[in-house]
Amino acid sequence: MTFAIDWYIVGAIVLLTLCSILTRCSYLLFGDRFPLSDSMRRAFRYAPVAALAGIVVPELLPWQPGVALVFDARPLAALAAIILYWRTGSTLAVIIGGMVAFWGFRYLLAVGI
Amino acid sequence: MRQQERGPSRIRQIRRQAFINGARDGVVPFIAIGTWGFVIGIAMVKSGLTESMATLMTLMVYAGSAQLTALPLIASSAPLWLIFAAGMVVNIRFVMFGAALHPFFRELSWRRRLLLGVFSSDITFVLFMSRYSDARRIGTSAQLWYFFGVAIPGWAVWNVFSLVGIFMGGLVPPEWSLEFGAILALMAVILPLIKSRPMVMCLIAAGLTAWVAQPLPLRLGLAVAVVAGVLAGIFSERLAVRARGVQ
Repeated sequence: MTFAIDWYIVGAIVLLTLCSILTRCSYLLFGDRFPLSDSMRRAFRYAPVAALAGIVVPELLPWQPGVALVFDARPLAALAAIILYWRTGSTLAVIIGGMVAFWGFRYLLAVGI
Repeated sequence: MRQQERGPSRIRQIRRQAFINGARDGVVPFIAIGTWGFVIGIAMVKSGLTESMATLMTLMVYAGSAQLTALPLIASSAPLWLIFAAGMVVNIRFVMFGAALHPFFRELSWRRRLLLGVFSSDITFVLFMSRYSDARRIGTSAQLWYFFGVAIPGWAVWNVFSLVGIFMGGLVPPEWSLEFGAILALMAVILPLIKSRPMVMCLIAAGLTAWVAQPLPLRLGLAVAVVAGVLAGIFSERLAVRARGVQ
């Protein structure tokens, strides 16, 4: 184990910390100078769902230009999880049932059904 | 001032209850945070960071997607300004979150607002706005302590599981694909929020946009998807209002 400090990596970490603080705190600290209209505030009600959908969907069906679409167990398991939620209303069923469905579908796809 | 007349013990009770409500709403999202933290802990070590550097990064940066974005840049010795710029772009959503949260916390001292910002995350924003975006009174002490109830345990869960990933990640076989559990946990956060047609439209628009835009660098696709989802939500809401007006 070495104890030499790599200043390049420390610099990157400090800069990324600065990114976190600048983006998270700027509006909370100086927001009074940039007041928001009521319609803007209403619009922000949709931001959470939009942000989460924007993170989840590309993870389920990833693709790259010039490469064939990857279709594996993930979208199938996600569909199973949605159906589970619709039938049970339980968010824990989404996680546990979805994970089990993922392992099951992956097995089925691997054996070629 | 009305609160003071109710006595300090009553205030303390309101705060404690709000904190507990936040922590309780956070249980399922905390599973997502913990899994993500664990996966990113492993990713940091795998990309070549030493355990001590990975620990420093976890404790200081507290921004999973920015860390994931920066890792390949660091591994390829990219210039520091590029790492900084990439981190800013990935974190742009936090500026929007801050703008939405600001009216609730504007009366607080700057030190407290700084603290709120540092501890805020995607999950604190999602849970807080889902609960209070239609609140008639804004800036109550219950709202502040609800925020802490989500934010502080969330911060702890993230860091503990990141450290577990850094130091013990090798013990979990990669074939388990635990990272998919984090995706499922995020889905478990979204599904209960989809209660109205505008929310459905927002979900479809954001999902489609994010899917089409995923080759964009620096997770810019995510920023575009948020804008598209918000626009679709507002548009659908206006259509519903107009349809009601015609009848």
